[in-house]
Amino acid sequence: MSTVAEPASLLTVALIGNPNTGKSTLFNALSGSRALTGNYPGVTVEKKISRMTCGDRAVDLIDLPGTYSLAPRTLDEMVAVNVLLGKQSDVRAPDVVICIVDASNIERNLYLVSQVLDMALPTIVVLNMCDVAAARGIQIDVPALSKRLGLPVIKTEAHRKRGLDELRSTIVSVAAVAPTHHLDRPPIFPAAFAAECEQLGAMLTSLGKPQTPYFLLERLLLDVGGYLEGHFVDGQASQLTAHLVGARERLAAQGVKVPAAEARLRYEWIRNILEGVLTRPASRPVTVSDKLDSFLTHRVAGLVVFALLMLGMFQAIYTGAKPLMELCDAGKDRVGNVVGGWLPAGMLNSLVVDGIIGGVGAVLVFLPQITLLFLFMAILEDCGYMARAAFLVDRLMTRLGLSGKSFVPLMSSFACAVPGILATRVIENRRDRMTTILVAPLMSCSARQPVYVLMATAFVPATTVLGGWQLPTLVVFGMTFLGALVAVPIAWLLKKTVFRGETPPFVMELPSYKWPSPGVIFNRVYEQAREFVVRAGTLIMATTVLIWGAGYFPGDHSRVDELTAQIEALQADPTRAEEHAEEIDDLVSQQNQMRGQLLEESYLGRFGHAIEPAVRPLGWDWRIGVGVMASFPAREVIVTTLGTIYSLGSSVEADDRNLVSAVQAARWPDGRPVYNVPVAVSIMVFFALCAQCASTLLVIRRETNSWRWPVFTFCYMTALAYLGALLAYQIGRLWS
Amino acid sequence: MSQILPMQYLTPGETGCVLDVDGDQNLVRRLGEMGLRAGVAVRMVQPGRPCIVALDHQRFSFRGEDDAVVMVEVDRN
Repeated sequence: MSTVAEPASLLTVALIGNPNTGKSTLFNALSGSRALTGNYPGVTVEKKISRMTCGDRAVDLIDLPGTYSLAPRTLDEMVAVNVLLGKQSDVRAPDVVICIVDASNIERNLYLVSQVLDMALPTIVVLNMCDVAAARGIQIDVPALSKRLGLPVIKTEAHRKRGLDELRSTIVSVAAVAPTHHLDRPPIFPAAFAAECEQLGAMLTSLGKPQTPYFLLERLLLDVGGYLEGHFVDGQASQLTAHLVGARERLAAQGVKVPAAEARLRYEWIRNILEGVLTRPASRPVTVSDKLDSFLTHRVAGLVVFALLMLGMFQAIYTGAKPLMELCDAGKDRVGNVVGGWLPAGMLNSLVVDGIIGGVGAVLVFLPQITLLFLFMAILEDCGYMARAAFLVDRLMTRLGLSGKSFVPLMSSFACAVPGILATRVIENRRDRMTTILVAPLMSCSARQPVYVLMATAFVPATTVLGGWQLPTLVVFGMTFLGALVAVPIAWLLKKTVFRGETPPFVMELPSYKWPSPGVIFNRVYEQAREFVVRAGTLIMATTVLIWGAGYFPGDHSRVDELTAQIEALQADPTRAEEHAEEIDDLVSQQNQMRGQLLEESYLGRFGHAIEPAVRPLGWDWRIGVGVMASFPAREVIVTTLGTIYSLGSSVEADDRNLVSAVQAARWPDGRPVYNVPVAVSIMVFFALCAQCASTLLVIRRETNSWRWPVFTFCYMTALAYLGALLAYQIGRLWS
Repeated sequence: MSQILPMQYLTPGETGCVLDVDGDQNLVRRLGEMGLRAGVAVRMVQPGRPCIVALDHQRFSFRGEDDAVVMVEVDRN
């Protein structure tokens, strides 16, 4: 009789480690396939889980945020603690923890390991970057280290996929053994501390709490005024605080001064563990990173390289993405035509073609540009340059009361404020983070480009100035940096008023340079691009449908549809189409006129007329007013809306000559042209400064956890935009 | 002769031993977790504000403010 093997159950493995240890590379190498990413419910900490197999076991690998410590002080750390303790509702408690350690920097990395050990979970230590350590003359006696720690220690070189099989089999074998406390491992804290933890646990149970994990008891004692104390025991907070104060006093009397003692005791423990295990060369060899840094962080040369890099990047994004964007555009028109041909003329046709395909397509066209920017950012980040860039601009940022850490988020906002705002999570200081979030939408995102291009092409004379530069190009370029320029006094003002506070000290690790890992970069870019597409498919789609509805109803469109049918009938026969060319043109212009009238009578049109007095001082007519109103959910909508308004149908692009000539031909009732240079500049300035992006405002809401800040951002930016446009128009009028 | 001074006053290439990290408790602990703590040797890579210091093979960009002072001891003749 053969024994039937029990079906192996699903294992959950958590991966934790310091930043810059090759954690993402290991995660990708282990899982191979793309990970499922999202956020943990209620917080904006990225959740990354991948399904893989180890032998015959299915394993869910959870990638935890890179952290130096498990003393929960930031959201990332809190989530990491909750996942490890199995308190995060949407992920299973981990069966195994993999703690990744940078072998070339083992002392500091073991600090986190020592905290993970206090969780008493089955743990594997992965010694990564052994090749780097060896190159630096650092030798680690792995069997001895494993024996001292009482844990399996596996050597890997994640980027060369070395050591992975051993790691996989160790995961399975470690999971099979019940966790034991390795008594042969030297204790980190003295007995008195353990006794206090026990007392605290007993006290909490007496208050009617379920048994508290040892790790949390330890943290409650060690983290003075920490995250946990407030969150942990609500109701009996005063009792708990009193007990903690007493306990800390008793510990201090025994020489364990909280909180200073933790780092001291843990590093002492690490020194004991590494005694005789770690051999280091007497003198530190000069590394490639050192040589690169002497140039790239140089006061002068570093800044020059930085400026050239940024310039090259923007140049590459604008020119490099162009063919792809044109392709996307053509694809969008193609889809619109095909779908429009299938659907019978009428409301549904208009909704799908003008509303959904036109609106969402107009946004998706920017995907190549945004993907390219994400790609550059991911490469700079992964090779270690971003930290240097932050270092270089810190001096500048301190003038505004910010630190170098605000640089990357603001830089990303030039593509799109949404990832920019998400990138502010690395800023620990709350006031700095808030200021950065609130000025990030002022950076000229790629959605502003079409507006600049349309206006500059139509109204700025195409003369050559300053030795070979096209004036319209210069205007577009200037507009791109207007927002950043305005952000300077705004950030300064915010730091002087709402978020007043000292400039926080700036400490940042400058990781060693390395070749970027294609897998890590691909995943990062893919994730960000996916998020962008999903947003276009949900929020932007919903708002475009809404705007379409306001522009379509309550008019009677049956005549327009009849004309469409007539035109199609004439065009269907190629022989007749030629002789009826004039008739077709006539019908088309009749139809366009009708469409324009319908729009004027629609809810959107009525609204536009109602607000006209407010936009007149900016030099705008009701149509521009409507266009601006309609583009509140997403600024790029203005181009499509103006297209509809100028009776061209909605499939109009920024450099479409028809739209250009239509806006050039637009007239006030008294016959004066609506647009002239001051009006065009006024529109561009408005769009450079306005907060017309629902996604950005929603992200601000999510990141600040309050409606106050998106409302504030919207109000201050709209006021700024209105003022800026007013100034531009009034001064421009005097000028001409 | 040994001298005690704030870390940012080290001269380029000079190495000092961290005597004390003082200031806001949370910051001091954060620095400790990152490896900057009493007893380690730091080498000035690039002085200035912020400066770059090396701790063994790690490099930090550091701009000290009033609430985080790192005192180091150096041998100067």
